[in-house]
Amino acid sequence: MEAPEDNLLRELNDLKASFTKTIDKLAKDLKRQSKIMARSDKRQRKEYDELQAKLQEVKDLSAEIEETQREVVLTMGAIGESRSKETGNHVKRVAEYTYILARYYGLPEKECEMLKQASPMHDIGKVAIPDSILNKPARFTPEEFEKMKEHAQLGYDMLKYSNRSLLKMASIVAYEHHEKWNGKGYPNATSGEDIHIYGRITALADVFDALGSARVYKPAWDDEKIFNLFKEERGQHFEPALVDIFFGHLDEFLQIRDSLKDV
Amino acid sequence: MENLFLEGTQYTPEINMNAESGVISMVGKSYPENTFDFYQPIMDWVTAYFNGEAKNKTVVNMEIIYFNSSSSKLFFDFFDVLDEQKDKHHVEVNWIYDEENESALEAGEDFIEDFENLVINLVGK
Repeated sequence: MEAPEDNLLRELNDLKASFTKTIDKLAKDLKRQSKIMARSDKRQRKEYDELQAKLQEVKDLSAEIEETQREVVLTMGAIGESRSKETGNHVKRVAEYTYILARYYGLPEKECEMLKQASPMHDIGKVAIPDSILNKPARFTPEEFEKMKEHAQLGYDMLKYSNRSLLKMASIVAYEHHEKWNGKGYPNATSGEDIHIYGRITALADVFDALGSARVYKPAWDDEKIFNLFKEERGQHFEPALVDIFFGHLDEFLQIRDSLKDV
Repeated sequence: MENLFLEGTQYTPEINMNAESGVISMVGKSYPENTFDFYQPIMDWVTAYFNGEAKNKTVVNMEIIYFNSSSSKLFFDFFDVLDEQKDKHHVEVNWIYDEENESALEAGEDFIEDFENLVINLVGK
């Protein structure tokens, strides 16, 4: 017969064992917990560093891509310019004019900035037009003029396959900068708002600059003659709103023309 | 018993627990919204598996690229279950890591250090 105190003693021992086991488990978990946190912190810091490094790499690459794109576009514009002997700063002035027109027209700043970069490529298609036509110091024959007109389509074809937003924009500019608001332009005789705003803007900028510059086949026009023509062409060659912007901010256009004079 | 398959997501690894072949695999990242809830069925499955019809050899392939601290805790609990079985069953863990991912390698080394009686192979790829 077991004495009551033996029974109690056994129960106490069981309790002690169970208590120790629980404490050990708790201690193990606690110890493990701080270890897990310390390791996780270390690991996550490393991952964070890696991510930061990769992000920086991506940022550098995007900057590089944008810079390359800008250079390619400017170089292409310069090639078009040199081929057509539109000496000096023609494409640079057109770039600035298109920027102003786009801004006052209400396009988002980023788009204005892009148009400024894309518009210098409007004549890139001229690289595929024979020198004999491009540099002819006299009026074109109807056949020559037809040939010359191909530069819009040619420029478009050169650029249209690009997925780059800037080159896509340049393809539109090249394609539509000879369209007229009244539908009498080329290559598609598109009219009004069916002509892309980039084409409408570049058309005005290009004509303004071309008229004011001397070419192999003509002297520079004086301002009065240019302004009269613009008034006549409001709603004909050019979108009325753009002509209004032009006259409304004439000082800015003239300032650009002065600061980017041909030498 | 039924196999357990969970498709991987942006935050959770793909889980494939096959009772017939005795192969358990976890592949992907582990950042569940609620880590405990996510791993509960996995813990239940592995416990039931070892209590019932475990194969002679069980292979666990873990290829976890990134994981949060609660996942780390759950992996310890998971390894605890494997550790308890190692005398009754043949259990082998392959900790698979990308050789360019130093943190994944270090995590594997940490598990080896903590479960020295469990077979954990570091497999670089």
